[in-house]
Amino acid sequence: MRAALARASLQRHPLRTTLAVLGVAVSAAMLLDMVMLSTGMQVSFRALLVRQGFELRLTPKGTLPFDTEARIAGASAAESVLRTLPGVTDISPVLGSTLHILRGEGAVAVFALGIRPAVQGDYALEAGHDASAADAVVANSAFLERTGYQVGDTISVAAGYDAQLRTYTGRRRVVLAGRARFLYLASAQAAAAVPLKTLQAMLGGADADRVSLLMLRTRPGIDVEALRASIERAIPRTTAIATADAVRSVEERLSYFRQLALILGTISLLVGFLLVTTLVTVSVQERLGELAVMRAIGVSRAHIAQQVMLEGLVISVLGTGLGLGLGLVTADYLNQILRAFPGLPAAIDFFVFEAQAAYRSLALLVATAVLAGGFPAWRAASLPIAATLRTEAVS
Amino acid sequence: MRRAMLLSGLALAAAWPLPARAQRADSLPVASRLRTIAIDERMVSDLGLRLGDTLEVAAAPGVAGDRVIVGAVTRRTADPSEIARAEYRVRLHLDQLQRLTGADDRVDRFAVAVPEPLVDSALRSINARAFGFRAHRSADVAATSSRTFAVVSRFNRAIGVITIVASAIFLLCIMLLKVEERRRDVAALRLMGISRRTVNRAVVLEASGIALLGSGAGVAFGYASSFVINWYYRGVYRTPLAFSIVTPGTVAFSVALSLVLGIGAGALAAYRLTGQPPLSLFGR
Amino acid sequence: MTNAAPPLLRARNLARDYPFAGESVHAVRDVTLEIKEGEYCAIVGPSGCGKSSLLNLLGAIDRPTRGTVEIRGRDVSGMREREATSFRLHNIGFVFQRFYLMPMLSARENIELPMAEAGMPRRERRERAQSLLAYVGLGARVNHRPSQLSGGEQQRVAIARALANRPALLLADEPTGELDLHTGREMIALFEQLNADGTTIVVVTHDEALAGAARRVIHMVDGRIVSDVANEHPPQGQSSP
Repeated sequence: MRAALARASLQRHPLRTTLAVLGVAVSAAMLLDMVMLSTGMQVSFRALLVRQGFELRLTPKGTLPFDTEARIAGASAAESVLRTLPGVTDISPVLGSTLHILRGEGAVAVFALGIRPAVQGDYALEAGHDASAADAVVANSAFLERTGYQVGDTISVAAGYDAQLRTYTGRRRVVLAGRARFLYLASAQAAAAVPLKTLQAMLGGADADRVSLLMLRTRPGIDVEALRASIERAIPRTTAIATADAVRSVEERLSYFRQLALILGTISLLVGFLLVTTLVTVSVQERLGELAVMRAIGVSRAHIAQQVMLEGLVISVLGTGLGLGLGLVTADYLNQILRAFPGLPAAIDFFVFEAQAAYRSLALLVATAVLAGGFPAWRAASLPIAATLRTEAVS
Repeated sequence: MRRAMLLSGLALAAAWPLPARAQRADSLPVASRLRTIAIDERMVSDLGLRLGDTLEVAAAPGVAGDRVIVGAVTRRTADPSEIARAEYRVRLHLDQLQRLTGADDRVDRFAVAVPEPLVDSALRSINARAFGFRAHRSADVAATSSRTFAVVSRFNRAIGVITIVASAIFLLCIMLLKVEERRRDVAALRLMGISRRTVNRAVVLEASGIALLGSGAGVAFGYASSFVINWYYRGVYRTPLAFSIVTPGTVAFSVALSLVLGIGAGALAAYRLTGQPPLSLFGR
Repeated sequence: MTNAAPPLLRARNLARDYPFAGESVHAVRDVTLEIKEGEYCAIVGPSGCGKSSLLNLLGAIDRPTRGTVEIRGRDVSGMREREATSFRLHNIGFVFQRFYLMPMLSARENIELPMAEAGMPRRERRERAQSLLAYVGLGARVNHRPSQLSGGEQQRVAIARALANRPALLLADEPTGELDLHTGREMIALFEQLNADGTTIVVVTHDEALAGAARRVIHMVDGRIVSDVANEHPPQGQSSP
């Protein structure tokens, strides 16, 4: 009977109830989006970093990978030292630079990675062959679109461009061996990968033995933190970054989004609370006489309070259910906006749906909205029967 | 590769980390012979450096460098692209930096001051004559380096739209409730012979007053929030950049929107009520 | 009164004061009263004399400032709220001037409300509700909402609701107050029928016809009972107690 009364009460004012449900739905959608945003970057970035199995990354001291143009000098010696450390199973050196794809009088500048194909973790081959030969290169779709070349073409490339003299160092012809998807680059960024030795030779000079980054795979079960510390002691001019540290660093830089998520999430809860409490309060106020009569005929306070709170529960459950779908749609839209960040790896998402966190937050909203009916419920249950009947009769 | 070095000998301490060995100025026998550098204010707070301290700057760790004296402390500029950058920055005399880094007679860019009416002609002239480089308007460079914040702006605007939709629904619901609370008053007035138009006007007037008051409170809250946001994030990122700016246009738009929504909601609720037979409002 | 059976209701030295503007308003002053099983009493008096306040005290809706009310030997005036609520549910039926039906429930559902609260199984309460509706002459209006019923019909549903849990006592506060003359007469006949079927009724009224139908008329003035007499002119077909 309580459920029937609550349902009937909500159906009594369909427009009002619909608006309240919509209001809660929007609050739920916003709350869900903020939960997805607060954890999305971390989840997404971590997944990207561990995808290829590299637990540690070595960079020039005080930098993050490809954060600056600094390079690690004496890369060969550094690699030798690393191989002596217990727990290191694979080392993937990476050198970042600009390559110029020469076409007639003009050139197209692309981002290039010098890699060791056997252990590389920067791209996934989609077509053709890997850049195993010294004169082979793999490139992404953006590269192929911008240059007009196809897999299998022989192309002229150069490095070390001097803008004043308009000369290059390290010009050579290479074969476009395959098409790849670069995991850590934006999808719109034209990129290519060549064997490390090839790129170092093309750059020449001091860069012949320099790399931008060394990625390390470790033995399962190894104490990564201890290994990290021993690497920094052994090679003091570098910084060793574990996946957790990298994620934390990126999170600090994007803390704005986490804080925004917290503020907007809190506001969503508050709005949901206010909406339900206002609606239920007015609903109670409108039927004081009915409630007093129910008390008079013997309906207990607890049952009256339950009936009123049930109204809040129904609105919040309906609204939250609707908000879940709405939230997923808006999250996708907002994610598309943020993925336009320049230089953001294509694999990174800002909004990631984690079922447990999402359902927990929505349950919190439902609980909040139910609590919102608490005060009006208490009020309804505490009506002085005789005085209320007298007041209602007079009015 | 992707990043441009700053002009006038500004060096990135991340690329050339400074093994800072500070000495008190009063203990230096040849302080007057040493050249001066300007350091980032963060280095003052984080590393305990002071004006007059002697440092050694080198292009690489372990390599002999120049001893210099801290001659000035600089504040970060309000540059969005520097927001999340944690590295320290120092300023050296151009020739000293060129010598230390082996850059010889090279720089990354020139900044050229030109009277505004002459900017376009100067651009054309330089680009026609320049050999190996191009001139750009500073505004264009800023726009390119602010692309990240353009994305953030778009995101915030989208959030703003969602918030406005939520607020509109909330406002409509509350106004509807509040007007319907007055159903008996409305019914009594109608039974007395007061016309629908008069009753509607009265309710809309009341809604307008509430909307106006609410808008005023909202604007005040917006200014206060903006102040708090700037105070907080300037502290977090240690930058003079303004993260939130309340402009007259923003205020005008917000107030207009809230007035339209508030008055509209009140009017809708009023017309709904007065459209019903008065006795039905009494529940008969 | 010579009947040896204990009274159904006994009120002793009842008083009810209300604070108002810094003073105390004495709505009920020192009322002592007994009502027997099967009686049909009317409480009459000018407006503001304390009739409704007395009814609220007798029905355990309100607590007296002084005095006691016993129903079937139980002191309802001293009961805690929960106990009093339960007592009302099982022992007292109320009928109000303004009907106070739940507008969003049908006639049947309104009658089922107190039965559901008492824990009666659904089928049983549905059947009883339908039989009560038939008893009050509304067997064909089971699923009608209050807005679809006339004033008299709504009051009949309210009476049926009051009888739902077979109460020992039916209390009615101005039950014909919002009804026209003709419908009021129908209501009076219904009350007579209820009493004839054994229901103890106490009705507060301004309606002379309704008061005239009762077997006992209690006059109140200024919070006190000034007279308590058997009805010398009961309606046709009924004998005096």
